[in-house]
Amino acid sequence: MIFAGIDVGSRTIKVVLLDAEYGKVLAAAIRDQGVDQAALTEELFHSTLEGKGLRPRDIQATVATGYGRGAVGFADTTVTEITCHARGARWLVRDARTVIDIGGQDSKVISLAENGDVRDFAMNDRCAAGTGRFLEIVVARLGVSLDALGAIASKSLNAAAINSTCAVFAETEIIGLLASGVAPADIAAGVQNALASRVASMAARDIEEPVALTGGVALLGGMVTALEKALKKKVLVAPQPQMAGALGAAVVASSM
Amino acid sequence: MISHCLDYTQAAKAAGRPIVGIMCEYTPRELIMAAGAVPVCLCGGDVDTIVAAHKHLPRNLCPLIKSTYGYLVEGSNPFLEMADLVVAETTCDGKKKMYELMARSKPMHVLELPQKEDDPVAFEHWMSEMKRLKDALEAYFGAKITDAKLRAAIRTMNKERRLRRRLAGLMKADDPPLHGRQLIEFKSSISGIDADLRMYEKAYEEYAGSPGVAGGKRVRVLMTGVPMVHGAEKVLEIIEDSGGTVVAMENCTGLKPILDDVDEKGDPMAAVAKKYFALACSVKTPNTARMESLKRICDEYRPQCVIELVWQACLTYDVESYSVKRLCEDELGVPYLKIETDYSPSDSARIAMRVQALFETVRGVAKA
Repeated sequence: MIFAGIDVGSRTIKVVLLDAEYGKVLAAAIRDQGVDQAALTEELFHSTLEGKGLRPRDIQATVATGYGRGAVGFADTTVTEITCHARGARWLVRDARTVIDIGGQDSKVISLAENGDVRDFAMNDRCAAGTGRFLEIVVARLGVSLDALGAIASKSLNAAAINSTCAVFAETEIIGLLASGVAPADIAAGVQNALASRVASMAARDIEEPVALTGGVALLGGMVTALEKALKKKVLVAPQPQMAGALGAAVVASSM
Repeated sequence: MISHCLDYTQAAKAAGRPIVGIMCEYTPRELIMAAGAVPVCLCGGDVDTIVAAHKHLPRNLCPLIKSTYGYLVEGSNPFLEMADLVVAETTCDGKKKMYELMARSKPMHVLELPQKEDDPVAFEHWMSEMKRLKDALEAYFGAKITDAKLRAAIRTMNKERRLRRRLAGLMKADDPPLHGRQLIEFKSSISGIDADLRMYEKAYEEYAGSPGVAGGKRVRVLMTGVPMVHGAEKVLEIIEDSGGTVVAMENCTGLKPILDDVDEKGDPMAAVAKKYFALACSVKTPNTARMESLKRICDEYRPQCVIELVWQACLTYDVESYSVKRLCEDELGVPYLKIETDYSPSDSARIAMRVQALFETVRGVAKA
């Protein structure tokens, strides 16, 4: 019995195929977002199926999530990214009690009950500070690639303090720091700290361990350390952290 | 409701009756009615008036205050244009300071609302403010507010509260006969209009025997927090479009002002003062009455979750939301969600996502 989860996110689209009988992820695919997200999603879905020699009728049920979930015409139903991230992260990190997802356009902190039920969630979706987009702005200003941000930050001995709580003002602040001769490494480390403390302050309740980190930002070196420092808790990165939402959608599909 | 309120106000104005604009449920409408005047609610719920308000007011202010004031700048609220006097209170800082600006072009009487709950000295001061309002109304309109007139106004207002309470009470049913948005549509901007009282009665008779609208499948929601002025019902609409039914609104545009009546025995001035002073607004400190009221409403209306609406920059409701969240989750065992927003529709999709996530939790989709 194969189930599909599709996460139509703000920056990328993800598809996960789940074999529920064997509790195994058969395939996980990702591509960048574009203008015609419905067509892009369908393409990715079909290429993922073909890669496994499957046809649409082999899929028992499909659940779509993410901000573009309404655009997936072929899904059986849609479920919010809160529920899907909770289910996906719990699958990836056993017994997780807190899920921190830092995506391209928003970030969220989800508290789970002992049995995995969603108890509470907090989101940042009105401002770019605390999201992957913030980091994209910063690397552009520092003239480095996103992948290199962690390595650069790791060289810092004295992280710069970034106080602005707005991504646009933070960029202004960074320009000021560069002008006054602060090393890019210290700025990179400061930015990671700022992002981490922003996310940590969002949590609506006490953060309970285990803490699972999902979303594309988890892939950046140094983010886990910055988050652990801000939360004063151990943070576990989910394997393939970008796929947590799509996986969660597939898990929901398998339990419908 | 707005169009017939406008007709009513225009007719009253033409007949020489004074029009008194009010800004808040703390205003004792009975005193205004006993002075022969028409109390009309002026709270703004229109996103389009906010740009005009920014000419004088800071951006980081609650949309209700900005919209109310924006109407003044634009001269586009016929009720405000017709008002001979505006009566307002020192509730939150934003409103209080906005009234100073409004007083530059409108006759304004501000009541000082003491904010310590259950404090006998505070009540004494409120009582003296009632007397000063009475004197002011008499002086403005050359009227005499007799005990008999005040008692008649109290009876009318009590009747109105009773009728509205009974209508709202239909939502207690397992499968309510109307949606929250239909219920809020009944609310009039003016109190004590005979036609409104008849309409509340008629609506009750019509809906009391009607079958439920939800087939018992919708999520029962209690809304609390800031008032939802006419035109600013977007969160209510999102909730009901996402599969919920708002069975109760604890706020000032819902149950809060109609839960208690004015005592019809004894000194009418003291009775009026007592009823209004007890209103459980977040400007009060502490505001235990609101927590008690929420418990009672939860008990009677059996919501499956509580959604608190906080207008951006409404400090008092925003801070108090922590206590409400604790009450809901720890004491009442009901999931709680706070939505902080303004009048603009720009964040509607994101709000819908949160509400849907909450409903998934309630319905067990999120169960592991």
